[in-house]
Amino acid sequence: MSQCYGCSTCKSADKPLEDFIRSLPMETSHHRVETQRTKCGFGLQGVCCRLCANGPCRITPSSPRGICGANADTIVVRNFLRAVASGSGCYIHIVENTARNLRDTAKARGELKGLASLNHLAEIFGIEETDDYKKAERVAEAVLADLYKPEYEKAELVEKVAYAPRVKRWKELGILPGGAKSEVFHGVVKCSTNLNSDPVDMLVDCLKLGISTGVYGLTLTNLLNDVLLGQPELRMAPVGLRVIDPDYINIMITGHQHTIFVDLQEKLVSPAAVEKAKAAGAKGFKLVGCTCVGQDLQLRGAHYTEVFDGHAGNNYTSEAILATGAIDAVLSEFNCTLPGIEPICDQLKIKQICLDDVAKKANAELMPFEFQQREQQSEALIDKIIEAYKERRGSVPMNLMKDHGNDHSLTGVSEGSLKAFLGDTWKPLIDLIVSGDIKGIAGVVGCSNLTAGGHDVLTVELTKELIARDILVLTAGCSSGGIENCGLMTPEAAELAGPKLRAVCRKLGIPPVLNFGPCLAIGRLEIVATEIAAELGVDLPQLPLVLSAAQWLEEQALADGCFGLALGLPLHLGLPPFVTGSPVAVKVLTEDMKALTGGQVIINPDAKESADILEKIILEKRSGLQI
Amino acid sequence: MKRILIDAAKCDGCMNCTVACMQAHREGPGTVYDLDLTDIRNESRNHIVGCADGSYKPIFCRHCDQPECVMSCMSGALQKDPVTGHVKYDEKRCGSCFMCVMNCPYGVLKADTATRTKVIKCDFCEGLADGPSCVSACPKKAIFVEEVEV
Amino acid sequence: MRHIIIGAGAAGIQAAQTIRSLRPDASVLVIASDEYVHSRCMLHRYLSHERDEAGLSFVPEHFFEDQKIEQLLGVTVSGIDTGERRVILADGRAFPYDRLLIATGANSFIPPVGQFREANNVFGLRHLKDAQEIRALADPAEKILIVGSGLVGMDAAYAFLEQGKEITVVEMVDRILPLQLDETAGEAYRKLFEAAGCRFLLGKKATETVMNSSGAVETVILDDGTRIDCDLVLVAAGVRPAIECVKDSGIRAERFIEVDDYLKTSCEDVYAAGDVTGIAGIWPNAKKQGETAARNMCGQAVKYEDRYGMKNTMSFYGLTTLSLGRGAVQEGDQVIRCQDSKGYRRAILRGGKLDSILIQGAIDYSGVYQYVIKNQIDLSGIQTDIFHLSFADFYGVGERGQYLYS
Repeated sequence: MSQCYGCSTCKSADKPLEDFIRSLPMETSHHRVETQRTKCGFGLQGVCCRLCANGPCRITPSSPRGICGANADTIVVRNFLRAVASGSGCYIHIVENTARNLRDTAKARGELKGLASLNHLAEIFGIEETDDYKKAERVAEAVLADLYKPEYEKAELVEKVAYAPRVKRWKELGILPGGAKSEVFHGVVKCSTNLNSDPVDMLVDCLKLGISTGVYGLTLTNLLNDVLLGQPELRMAPVGLRVIDPDYINIMITGHQHTIFVDLQEKLVSPAAVEKAKAAGAKGFKLVGCTCVGQDLQLRGAHYTEVFDGHAGNNYTSEAILATGAIDAVLSEFNCTLPGIEPICDQLKIKQICLDDVAKKANAELMPFEFQQREQQSEALIDKIIEAYKERRGSVPMNLMKDHGNDHSLTGVSEGSLKAFLGDTWKPLIDLIVSGDIKGIAGVVGCSNLTAGGHDVLTVELTKELIARDILVLTAGCSSGGIENCGLMTPEAAELAGPKLRAVCRKLGIPPVLNFGPCLAIGRLEIVATEIAAELGVDLPQLPLVLSAAQWLEEQALADGCFGLALGLPLHLGLPPFVTGSPVAVKVLTEDMKALTGGQVIINPDAKESADILEKIILEKRSGLQI
Repeated sequence: MKRILIDAAKCDGCMNCTVACMQAHREGPGTVYDLDLTDIRNESRNHIVGCADGSYKPIFCRHCDQPECVMSCMSGALQKDPVTGHVKYDEKRCGSCFMCVMNCPYGVLKADTATRTKVIKCDFCEGLADGPSCVSACPKKAIFVEEVEV
Repeated sequence: MRHIIIGAGAAGIQAAQTIRSLRPDASVLVIASDEYVHSRCMLHRYLSHERDEAGLSFVPEHFFEDQKIEQLLGVTVSGIDTGERRVILADGRAFPYDRLLIATGANSFIPPVGQFREANNVFGLRHLKDAQEIRALADPAEKILIVGSGLVGMDAAYAFLEQGKEITVVEMVDRILPLQLDETAGEAYRKLFEAAGCRFLLGKKATETVMNSSGAVETVILDDGTRIDCDLVLVAAGVRPAIECVKDSGIRAERFIEVDDYLKTSCEDVYAAGDVTGIAGIWPNAKKQGETAARNMCGQAVKYEDRYGMKNTMSFYGLTTLSLGRGAVQEGDQVIRCQDSKGYRRAILRGGKLDSILIQGAIDYSGVYQYVIKNQIDLSGIQTDIFHLSFADFYGVGERGQYLYS
């Protein structure tokens, strides 16, 4: 390689990773930040409209309206609603497939690993059934039936799953959603050309989409996953590029739909598969975690110690994982599978197979997951991956990073495992909050991006600032992947916490940052918050609880964010979601929302300033609760 | 002197230079995210003309060798700096006659929209270490600064 | 080499500056009757109390010191001895020169109407001295009569209206700003001025005056018999080149000083620039003439090219107008008018070329029109409509990044 790619990679909170990526002989997303440095000002503010042939229209002082007459408010909020609807669609796709896989597994009388979760769901859904398979089938059907309702029929499970005081407020505001898929449909109709021009009306739709995204995509997906894949259990696990063992045939998994891998996970460790692997010269197969599906596997790692090596990194670590040379195949079923991995896979002869056509990669083989064909598909996948292994091993250089990450990050945190750890009650946590030993809780969630300071830079800096202020941090999403690789989920990270939180961590032997896993688990954070609120007898906005999607990346994150707002929580974003061109959108999101749901958006790219703002809000909420 | 050179064939009409200029000359602090794009007081010193043939023509102050605007200025507000070669505009001196608008042969100048008492004129972002904001903002390198012989 | 420049207006100052930059060591002396270097185009801002004497300057503070230019301001040149190569002042002092530039400009023309020329309250507005005298009388005055509605008259009217004076403007033609504007464009300003309290008497001429015992005109009588009482009269009826100093010098001058293409007069080493030459003497041209004369005085042979002077911009009450060309329609001309809520535009095309254009409203980026008219660019191949011309239609960039018309 004569070309130097390494001169201009972006920063990463993970310094060893930053050095590794800079040294790579191939281009990655980290290299492209520099060449994409110049951002269009109109795009940043959300005032570029391409909804009709008259466009693109852009707002300037001499052109304050598009040709059609749409002003900045209309253009911005149409674009925003479109993004939220898209993001919601993504999560609803995930929950739909998850429910279908649970239903089909139950019908086929396959293994249900999380009966406690099944019983919990049946109970809140009001399903009485003695047979576990029938129960699971009915639970899954109930979810699906709701997803497929029209927009004009209210979804049934929202009231059963969500916290009652919230449901009451949502009813008052008229934002209870109809069928979740239809809400997406309604949203995209609303923001099409020359339809709705009322920014406030469209922002209300964003809240509805937030609720359906949150209740189905974020809350129920986890619980359905628990039934099929097993409930999370606390444990210490290795994280980072060190988890990759070149002696095995390594499969990097990316996406969000863990239930697609149920059969494959079993088959990969079957004696037959291990035999095949050995015949090819490997010790066996390993799944290497990447993105949220990797987080989900890590979360339930206690059930998969044999097949799962550990979580290597988040979305913007995926290229580095491949660049180690020790990955033989990528199985992807959803985002965040970067298009940028494609040339790297070609170069390193890594087999790419997509298991869901919504995430078909340009140069990958498509094998859409079909439940009835799952066993044959698993066999076929194993054979194809072995072929790739044989083809590439020996000819592709290894570039391992044996010391990257750490070997004892706390994983497996969920509403269930955490409560169990506390003695099956939230009281100890509530007591610590009341006493001020834990000042409050911050959910640092969502993605990683490369522009808010660099890869995970704002996320990690903000997390450090928060724990230093005795604020306990819970994570979900790619933020988890970055934070854990930076060591903040090891018990030693207690050193970085403020004195009170440090003492708590030391006493309990836990890190100051607790990893709930994938972005889907934002729903789990909400369950924790709801249960604490219920125990205190207050509504969610009263809790000393804040959210930060510091390095939000995708449209899905915007739908998540709308859920946070509907829940009445303060939501910090490192970068504005392309809305600042609209005074109405900015005012509604950052000010008026407080009176509507209790939520508010805070936009700040500086870790310290953001932490100051979030701490202030937590202190205000504490005094509101007179603690 | 330093001049912003133009490779018009590279211009895609994104108007990033325009936004960057507005941002560089806004009153009060802030980022491009909160720059009010509808405030007529936020005016760009450059503009891009989209042509019928689909091409774009960046119109930027040349800080001319023989500046007609300076020649036409009856208040002394416009002066060519003997050191930098840049044509400076002193808003306080300006008599608002707009002879410079009429006399710029390249149609670069305009009166300010909000008060019609000032001229909107490139100042080469004097004082910015990285040079003119428009140049930094151009994703195509259609505009770039070079030292030209006087 | 000793350079003397008579006059400290646009041409004189530009010449001094140019000589200094070309000849760092030469001696340069500026002699002028003005006590301050000032911009004549801004005298109305002095009348309106918006600016003081120093605020009218168009040169940087310490200009003469910084540029090492000698100055002798507030003196009168009584003659030029071209044989002895000396400039003689009214106080008897004489200054020898090697090269001389006469840039004395022009003086207001006061027509012989009634006692206009004798009265002590009738003024033209050309020099700061005029403005100072006018302001001393205008401040206590209530009623002011302005004769002539050209730019000088309207600038003054605006200034006095801002001071709350009762203003009457008498104009011979039946519309205001008749040289610069057509009826439609003039009408827009007339309404704005009337809304500000200005009274116009159009299509009328002052013919007689009534002067009181202290020598002030109290009443002006028009050709239709209308009597206008006034405390002060400002006559804005044009200017005449200030050629008094060349009398008996041998420098050829009738109504103005004659110059060749190099701006040299009939006498060796004596040049003239600006209003005094009778070549389009508006500000930018005066400066260019000053520059060209200076170059020739320094031994370069530079022809003066830019004789186009039919151009003006104005701005009153937030309404700006640009006017280029004579605006007179000939047979066979194509006249295009366009009026909308934002303004008014009129173009006169003659043989595929632009002869005149008038733009009222936003005049943004309108600089190309002067070039197109002055250089008689053939527009027949241009697709863009006449009111949307821009440099993009003629776009060219030279090697050093200077724009070129192509």
